[in-house]
Amino acid sequence: MPSPARRPFAVVLSDCLVGVAGLLTPKEQRSDWKREWRAEIWHRWQFLWHAGMWNRREKFGLVRGTLGAFQDAVWLLKAQESLWQGIREWARSPFTCLGALGILLLVTAALSGGLPATRELLSARSDLLFIWMHPSGGGHDKGLPPDLMPAWESRSRQIAKLAAFQIARASGDQPLLVTVQPEFFDVIGVKPAIGTIPRQGAVVLDYRAWRSLTHANPAALGQQLRVGGNAYKVAAVLPKNFWILSRQPTVYVVRREITTGLVFAMARQKPGVTQQQLNKELVKIAQDVCYYSLDSQLRYAAWTSVLLTPLRLFGVALALAGLMAPLVFRFRLRAFRVAAARRTLFFLAKAALALSWVFAAFLELSRSESAILLASKDPGDGPFLVWLYVLGTMGVLFWAVADQRARCRVCLRLLAFPVRVGCPGCLLLDWSGTELFCSEGHGVLHVPHMAPSWDEEAERWISLDESWQGLFVSGK
Amino acid sequence: MSDSAKLSHTAALILQTIDNGCSYGFDIMDETGLPSGTVYPALRRMESEGLISSQWEPEKKALAEQRPVRKYYRVTREGSHVLEQSQKRYPLLARLTSKSRR
Repeated sequence: MPSPARRPFAVVLSDCLVGVAGLLTPKEQRSDWKREWRAEIWHRWQFLWHAGMWNRREKFGLVRGTLGAFQDAVWLLKAQESLWQGIREWARSPFTCLGALGILLLVTAALSGGLPATRELLSARSDLLFIWMHPSGGGHDKGLPPDLMPAWESRSRQIAKLAAFQIARASGDQPLLVTVQPEFFDVIGVKPAIGTIPRQGAVVLDYRAWRSLTHANPAALGQQLRVGGNAYKVAAVLPKNFWILSRQPTVYVVRREITTGLVFAMARQKPGVTQQQLNKELVKIAQDVCYYSLDSQLRYAAWTSVLLTPLRLFGVALALAGLMAPLVFRFRLRAFRVAAARRTLFFLAKAALALSWVFAAFLELSRSESAILLASKDPGDGPFLVWLYVLGTMGVLFWAVADQRARCRVCLRLLAFPVRVGCPGCLLLDWSGTELFCSEGHGVLHVPHMAPSWDEEAERWISLDESWQGLFVSGK
Repeated sequence: MSDSAKLSHTAALILQTIDNGCSYGFDIMDETGLPSGTVYPALRRMESEGLISSQWEPEKKALAEQRPVRKYYRVTREGSHVLEQSQKRYPLLARLTSKSRR
C-alpha cells in the first residue's frame, strides 16, 4: 500500500501537541525530545497505514497516546535540579516576601470590590457636621429641642445648610428607621438613584433596605411598604454605595417638619468657620430666640472625624503592639552601616505592607456590620474592630521581627540548611543549638536551644568572608 | 541490593520489555499496555539511573528509507543485573511480557 501524500489530521494534531508540550521541557533538551516524539508518531502512523489498521479508533489512540508527552515534559522539567534551586532561591528572596504581601493586598482589594471602606476615609467631606447635646448635669448624650432647628437655619451665618433627623432604633431584623426633613438629603449631598425625594409622608430607602425589603424590585417605587407597624409609600432609592448614619439597611421617613421629641442636626458649615465660632453663634441663637441655655452642652462630630475612627483605633492598636514588642524581643541600637540601613528599610517596608493589609482587610471585614454614629450593638463599631486591630498589629510585628531574624544579615535572603549541633542535655559543658546558613555564603546564624537569661545576645551571627562562598550556591 | 535494584513492578515490566527487544517508546507501550505518560518518564528515570541507554539510529539509514530518525533504548549491563534481581522479586514478570518481536 503506498504512503499517503499528506499527513492526516490526527498526525498533525499529535505533532502540534508535542510542540506545545515541548515548551515545558528544558531548552537544551527540547529539540531532541520533540524529534523523538515526532519520529514515534510518524512511525506509528506508517505502521498502522501499511497494516491497513488506520481507522478512527487508532487515530484517537494516537492522539491520546501523544497526550502523555505532557507528563513526559513535566517529568523532565521536575527532574531539573537547577529549576528547584531557582525556586528555593526565589522563595528565600526578600523581594518575594514584599511581593507576596503586595499580592495579598491586591487580592483583598479584589475580594472586597476595591476596598470601599478604606476609600471612604480618603474622600471624607470635612464641612459636614453632626450636632447633638450632652447635658451639663451629666447623663447620656441626647437630642436637641426641635424648635431650635428653624431658628438656627434662619439666623445662623456660619451654617450653609441644616436639617433635623430622628432615629428609631431597629429591633430584630427590622431596618433602621430615620425620620428626616426633605432638606436632609440636600445637606448630605446625595441624589436618589431612582425616584425623587418626597416632601412629606413617604419613605426613601437606602440600597440595602431596598434589597432586603423589596428584593431590589424597581416596581416597588410608588407602592406601599409596611415598616415598624406603619405603611409608607416608597418614593426613592438611594445609590448603592451610599451610607451616612449606619451601614445597616435604613429607611428614611420624610416629614416636612419634626415637631415632637428630640432631634439631631445635620449641618454643613461655611468654609473657614471654626468650631468655636460656630458653637458661640449657635448657643447665642438658642438663648436669644428659644430661651435655651446650651452653654458648653452642644457636641459636634465632623463627618471626617467620624470616618477616621478606624484610623484612630488602628493607631491605638499599633501603639499597644509597639509597647509590647520590647517585652518579647531585645532590640539593640547599632552604629549606622549600609547593610544595617538596608535591613531596616526592608523591615519597615515589610511591616508597612503587612500593617496596611491588616488595616484594610479588617476594616473591610467589619464594614458591613458597622454603625458609627449610633451607640449600636454592632461588633464592627469600636470594640470588635479594636480587638481585631490589636491582634492583627501584634501578629504582624512579631512575625516581621521573627522573619527578620531568620534572614541573612547581608543579602536578606531567608537562611537555609538548618543543622542541629550538640546535644540539649550538655548545656553546662557545651553549646547546643541549630546553625543556619545563608545560601549565598554570607554567614552562619547560631540559635541556641535554650537561651540563658544572662546572655545578652543569645543568637549569634558569624559573617563568613569571600573565601567561603565557593562552597555555596552562588559560588557554583 | 542497591536502591536502583528495587524497581517498581511497572519499571521492571518496562525494563523486561526492552530486554525482550522492544526498543522504541510506542512499541513498549503496545507491549506493556501502559500509557505514554507512564512509559516515557520511566524511560527517562531508568536512563538517568544507568539501567538503560538511548541512542539515535544512524541518520543515513533513515534518510535512505525516507523516514525520520528514531531513538532506541537498550538495557545496560547494570540494567541486566537489576532485571535479574527484579525477576526474582516478581516471578511472573517474564510471563507477563511476550517473547521478543525482533
